This record gives sequence, C-alpha cells and structure tokens, in this order.
Amino acid sequence: MNKRHKQVKFILPGFIFYTCFIILPIIYVFYLSFFQWSGLGEMKFNGIQNFVTIFTDERFSPVFFNALWNNIKYLLCVWLIITPFQYLMAYLFFIKIPAYKYLKFMIFMPYVISTTIISFFATLIFNPNIGFLNKFLEAVGLEHLQGAWFGDPNWAFKLMILLILWQGAGSGVMIFYSNFMDISKDVMEASRIDGCTEWQRFTRILVPLSLPSCASVITMSTIWALALFDLPFILGGAKGGVSGSLDFVNLVFYRYTFGSALNGKSEIGFGASICVVMFAVMLIITTIQNKVLKKFEYDN
Amino acid sequence: MKKEKNTEILSPGARVVRWVLSIILMIYTGITIFALSITVMDSLKSKGDIVTNFVGFPKQLTMESYFRVLKEANLLLYLKNSVVLTVGGTLGCILLAGLTAYGISRFDFKGKNFLSGYFLMGMMVPVQVSVLPLFLILKRIGLLNNIFGMMLVYASGISMACFIFQKFFHTIPVALEESARIDGAGDFRIFFQIIAPLCKPVVMTVALITAISQWNDFYMPMVLLGKKTSNTLTLVIYQYIGQFTKYMSESMAAVVITLIPVIVLYFLFSSKIVEGLTGGAVKG
Repeated sequence: MNKRHKQVKFILPGFIFYTCFIILPIIYVFYLSFFQWSGLGEMKFNGIQNFVTIFTDERFSPVFFNALWNNIKYLLCVWLIITPFQYLMAYLFFIKIPAYKYLKFMIFMPYVISTTIISFFATLIFNPNIGFLNKFLEAVGLEHLQGAWFGDPNWAFKLMILLILWQGAGSGVMIFYSNFMDISKDVMEASRIDGCTEWQRFTRILVPLSLPSCASVITMSTIWALALFDLPFILGGAKGGVSGSLDFVNLVFYRYTFGSALNGKSEIGFGASICVVMFAVMLIITTIQNKVLKKFEYDN
Repeated sequence: MKKEKNTEILSPGARVVRWVLSIILMIYTGITIFALSITVMDSLKSKGDIVTNFVGFPKQLTMESYFRVLKEANLLLYLKNSVVLTVGGTLGCILLAGLTAYGISRFDFKGKNFLSGYFLMGMMVPVQVSVLPLFLILKRIGLLNNIFGMMLVYASGISMACFIFQKFFHTIPVALEESARIDGAGDFRIFFQIIAPLCKPVVMTVALITAISQWNDFYMPMVLLGKKTSNTLTLVIYQYIGQFTKYMSESMAAVVITLIPVIVLYFLFSSKIVEGLTGGAVKG
C-alpha cells in the first residue's frame, strides 16, 4: 500500500459498512418512491404518481394529513412543553435544590428503560379493566372520573405526551445541565459580586450562554418528534388508536408498507414515497428552525 | 476534588421555594419507583394472587412465574437472542468506529472534513427513513430474520461513536505514536497496542450507551426480526402487552428479566452514561 494513503486501511471497513447499511438505504428509498412495486415481481416506473396519490387520493390523503397534523401537534408540544420543562429541570439541578443528586439520578433513570417497557408500565396504570388508576378511582369513590384512557380519543394524545415527558425528558435535562456546568465560574462569580439577582443571572447569563446547546437539543428532538413510532404503535395499535388520535406519519408508513392497507397488497413503492415526504418535511422544519435559532444567538 | 463551599446566601423565601420544588420533584420520581416496584413485586406473586392483589405485597414469595416464562414461553431463546445481538452489535460498532475515527483524526489527507461530516450524517437521519430499504437489502442477501443481519446493521451505525472517538483522539499526544513508529511498530500495532489501551474510559462510555440503545430497541427488530425464533426480549414484551390480562404474571417476569441488565448498568455507571450522552450531543 502506498505510504501516503495509510489512512485508507483504517477508514475503509467502517466506510463500507456505514455506506451499505446507513447511507445507501437513504438513497434507495428515494429511488423506490418513483416505482409501483409490491415487493415481488416487476417494478413499474410510476413517475410522481405515488406523491400525487399521497396528497390527492380521497381515501388516503385525509388519513395522511391527520397523521401529519398529529406529528405537528406533537412537535409543538416538544417546543412548548417538553423543552422548557427540561430547561427548567436542568436549572433546578444547577442551583442545587435540596436532594438534587438523588433527583438527577431518578429523573434520568427512565431514559435507559425501553419504550416497550414504558408502554407496559402505561398498561399497568391506564388499562381500563385492571389498570391501577381506575381501581384507585373506584376505591376512593370517584367512579365518575374513570375513563378508557388510551382508548379515549380525548385522553390518548395528552397521556402520551405525559409518558414522553416522563421517559424522554432525561436526556435533554442532562445536556442542558452539562452546558450550564461548562459556563465559566468566573462569569458567575463576577455576576454575584456585581449584585445580580437570581432572575437577572438566569436571563442575562445562563440563557444566552446556553443557547448553542439548546439549538442542538431542539434539532435532535425535532427529528425524533417527526419520526415518532414506538409509543403510539404499542399503545394505540397499528391503526393509530381510536379514531386516529394516536396516528402518526410513521404508523401510516408502516401500515401501508408492511401491513398492506392500500389495495390489499403491500406497496413498497408507495411506502417509500411516504418516507420521502416525511424526510422532506423534516428537512424543511429543521432548516427553518435553525434559521430562527440563529437569530437569537449571541456572538461570544 | 475540593469540596465547594456554598457561598450563595439565600433569603428565607428562596430557600422555601427550593424545598417546595424539591418535594414536588420527589413525589414525581415516585412514579418511577412505583412502576418498578409494582412490577418486581407482581412478578414474585403466584398466578391467583396477582389477580386479587394487584398492588400490594405478595402474600407468598414465589419464583413460579419466572420458571413458567423460561420453560413454557421459551424466554431463554429470546434472552440469548438479545444478548448475542447487543454484544455483537456493540463490539462491531466500537471496532469499526474506533478504526474509522483514528484514520480520520490521525492522518492528513484531502477530503478529511468531508469524510468527518459524511460519518455524522447518520445521526441526523432517523432509522425510520431507512428501515424499508434495509428490509429489502437484508432480504436480498438472505439475512432477514437473522440475528447476524441485524447485528451488521447495528455495527454499521457508527456516527455517534465515531464522533466521540474523534474528539477523544485529538487529546492524545502524537509523540506517543511517533516514538513507537521509530521503534518499528506498524500502524495497526500502534493502534491496538498503544492507542487502544488509552481509550478504555471512552470505549466504556460509548459501549454503555450503544449497548443500552440496542438492548432497548423495538422498531428495527420488529421489522427485521419478524420470525418467532429470531425475536428479541422487547418484541416478547410487546406481544405480552397485547394479551396482558391473559398472561399477567408471565409478562411481569419477562419485564423484570429485560430490565435487570439496564438497571444494574445504570446503578453502576450512571455518570458514565450521562457523559456519553452529553459528549455525543453536537454542540454549537
């Protein structure tokens, strides 16, 4: 091997595997989206017909838009509820509220538990027949408050947000927290000597200095918000819950690709085009979001 | 580390607010404790006891649901699948990522920044986008419903590991390798005998977060390991949730078996796991 290309033998194995199993599939999905193909037999080139079907088919497009709307609703919850919650939590740990070490340990713990098990816990608590919550309400004489919980379209979405808040918030809290800890002690000290109030320190020092990390956390949670699958699938079933209250784009994709919901046969090409649309939405939203977040960034 | 003196002087009002917040959060963490302890206790109850006494201490401790789930439900096979998959996937990922990161950060060549960005791309694209092609590719090469095929996919997801390793390699002085090279050691020998031992802490961090996410993964195994004999533990729990009222005690035991490894790792290495998570977050 040429002496000047020593790096090749180190990079090549990783490059091959990574390209084959991570990058190639992304390109392949774009290619597939232009075909009509059931997975067996001949692939028929279909142009943009699949995309036309997604947006105009009178049977499919309401389902799709309902799912997309749920994704957007969830994304808004991430921006307006989950991220502020994480930020606040990180701040509380930063100012060392009593027992903060224990709290930090416990609040991050659900993060290492699988979403399947989180759904299992949710079943224990919210199952309408044997779940703990309904039994508890019965025991204290509040039967009229009993509900079908995940079987109730008014409750399902809200409960899912609570579950995600409980399980998924930990990672963001830790990232915000570690960024607070990175802020130079001198700055904090100086602010204290200058007589900053706690509120001033929070708004004038912590918030501006931790914005770059916020940007990356928000970008990642946006991507994951649009790719949400596990919890609604396990708790609401592949059909997306009662009257589509837990239906998300990814569930639609799964149903139509592997579950043969369009014409009674599996539609690989059609499924791929749903993926492409989802990917495009993701790109558009993260691009806009980064533009907006850049505006708030300080030069430091 | 020197114990930091609490120099902040708090007004009594602020102190009360902090205590109140702390107590609210303690109640909030009670949810986790409650869910975990109910599951563990219920898994130790007999089949009749669990129905009449869902929340509460077991009347009599018994391991019968564990025996039942291991024997009748064949959980040992799924446990083996999960262990083989996680161990293989994590080791493969670390080896590939380590080599790649070393190649990128230690040698000068054209397109270095491009490659570095190329390997990061995987972090920005969720697996949901690529799962359908992966299904087709694995089917074509005959590795669908095969633990080894799934392992290859996991081992290829090196974005995060590669990123963390690159950052770490920049902190190792080049002088170490140069002296070894003068002594006549080859590139791979330098990597495995001089660099790798230095990496133990960072390898540990990356291995923990990779292994936990693979152990917990549900979506990929569901699509790519659909056949019963190649199922993993998370898939078994998913099936139990669907028939919860019928298999209450079995599902509790299966959940506990799946939980034990991650909870033990968390108690032992929680700070390492956090470190891996925050180190992997792209800053700026």
